[in-house]
Amino acid sequence: MSQERIELNTSIPNLRDLKASDLSAYDAVYLGDIFCRLYEGNFLERPEDLRQGLRILRDRGKRAYVATYAAPRNDFLPRVRKSLEAAAASGADAVEVHNLGILKIAHDEFPGLPVHVGGFANVYTDAGVEVLRGFGAVRFTPNYELSLDEIREITATCGAPMELLVHGKMPLGISDYCFLLDYEGKWGVKCPDLCQKELFLKQGDWAMKSVGKGILSGKDVCMLEHLPRLLADGHRHFRIETVSESPAYRHEVAAVYRQAFAHAADGALEQDQGWWDVVRAHARNGLCNGFYFGKSGMDYAGIRPEAPGSFLTISPSTQ
Amino acid sequence: MVELLAPAGNLPMVEAVVANGANAVYAGPRGWSRRRDRYELSDEDIREAVGIAHAGGAKIRVAINTNMQSHEVPPMLRKMERFVSWGVDGAIMTDVGAIALVHRHFPHLTIHASIGANILNDEDVRFYRSIGVSQVVADTKLTLKELASRKEQIGVGIEILIHANHCYTYLGKCWMSPYHRLERTVDAFGKDQFKGSPNRGGLDYRVCLESWELHSGETKWEDRVALKNDAFFLLEDIPHLIDLGVHCLKVQGREYPVPLVAEIVKFYRSLIDGYLAHPKGQPFDLAPWRATLAGIEGERNAARGQTTRLLLIEARQLVPVN
Repeated sequence: MSQERIELNTSIPNLRDLKASDLSAYDAVYLGDIFCRLYEGNFLERPEDLRQGLRILRDRGKRAYVATYAAPRNDFLPRVRKSLEAAAASGADAVEVHNLGILKIAHDEFPGLPVHVGGFANVYTDAGVEVLRGFGAVRFTPNYELSLDEIREITATCGAPMELLVHGKMPLGISDYCFLLDYEGKWGVKCPDLCQKELFLKQGDWAMKSVGKGILSGKDVCMLEHLPRLLADGHRHFRIETVSESPAYRHEVAAVYRQAFAHAADGALEQDQGWWDVVRAHARNGLCNGFYFGKSGMDYAGIRPEAPGSFLTISPSTQ
Repeated sequence: MVELLAPAGNLPMVEAVVANGANAVYAGPRGWSRRRDRYELSDEDIREAVGIAHAGGAKIRVAINTNMQSHEVPPMLRKMERFVSWGVDGAIMTDVGAIALVHRHFPHLTIHASIGANILNDEDVRFYRSIGVSQVVADTKLTLKELASRKEQIGVGIEILIHANHCYTYLGKCWMSPYHRLERTVDAFGKDQFKGSPNRGGLDYRVCLESWELHSGETKWEDRVALKNDAFFLLEDIPHLIDLGVHCLKVQGREYPVPLVAEIVKFYRSLIDGYLAHPKGQPFDLAPWRATLAGIEGERNAARGQTTRLLLIEARQLVPVN
């Protein structure tokens, strides 16, 4: 097993959330909301906030990463370049790209800036990783549709460091259109406050979270009982996705995973019931494993008898 | 001269669209393209389709535009070698690793970046050009202004979808369907079918078209919100696109009945030829085509509505345990 230290990271959209968040359980943070330019206080639209955010992270001893938009059109690119300039000038530890045009910009115009490839960049194959490495990418989030076995196929061939979502809402899609804007008048809530509500699209036992232009899983991906497998596969970089979550979620779930990773790294198999109480309390619609076990993304492949599966949800009364 | 590119979901469709004026057709080898397997062709059928297309003066492209698995890359290359030896004129692809390898092995083969590559900006186009792509399919959300900048500045071929779906999400950046249902089956040739994941070559359950309620906490805010996913025909834009110099106007629709697809191709052939023949600088009256299209659109909507209903029913079915 690789002795490289485990990195637990997360994402924070704006300065307000950064200042409100206890990051003690994290090693690194991605700054910025990748879905929408109008997201409240988005770091990616405010270079001065971004510089301040990077300073705050550095002062707290965290690695500081800058996210970039997942679906940038031509008119986004000047703003993206500003973010990359701020990242380079402020000594960001890496930028995350989801769009291959931005990867090319980073490679051509900011050659000293390490690049992480994000989950919307559609990394499915070892051959794809090799191409992206040629453009300077050093870390890869495989597409969320890949199973752990498929991810292992990639790492076995090219040895590239992968970053895996271990907990939180899994991105499911991105649009150029925010349907929430249709309801501004009816609800009396304006953008950018609309997507600050915790909104779920539901039909029967199906649920997806809406953040306006972004669609996320309704269930929280939870790999708490599978950490030994992730470590045995050689993975060391893990994301708790909290870009649309509260500071309490961001802190409490991370604290659980920090402990759980320490146990797993020591070879301990037992799990603390308290960990499960915490993750369940924050999961509005139950838990799932995403696509890691080759099943539908909303399935749960757990061994714990009370683990919620596809057709079970956590009662709000347990929150 | 702009090319009219038509779908080939089966051999009769190849014959029909070529007979009705398609300049090129595209077909997907079974399990390797962004459609359900019943709308894909066996390798032998692709060989036959090459013959039909070429005999009718049309080109043929193979759509190997799934996001494949790592171990599927070598068989993909062997498959491509056969197709190239049979005379296919181009490949439609998505995975950047697969694209780079195909370009290295078959440097004279035209590679088209698929709609699944989700190319959204000029720098994207430059990236794909650098790995061997010579034509790109424009995302359906792009504006004429964005397309114009691409044409002027980059010099790659642009393909425009003139009959397709306008999804709520960006194509190639959506896995809502397999999140709700993914059924993995391996076919007789060892190809994983990924039923439920269009990015990986299976069908799309169109879950975006479900009757979604919107909830916040314990409160239901809306009984039904629409994640728009409309099928469209371009009409008014066709003259502008031709004037802009786009290389290819592409009709999607491998899943539709052959007579309907033939009718669509015939319609666009007539429209393109009519516009090219009319005196430059003179007004071009679209009224006759508008009337014809209304009838075709009705047929298409009926076929699509029925398919969507069946897909949403199928999406709720339990996945068989292997």
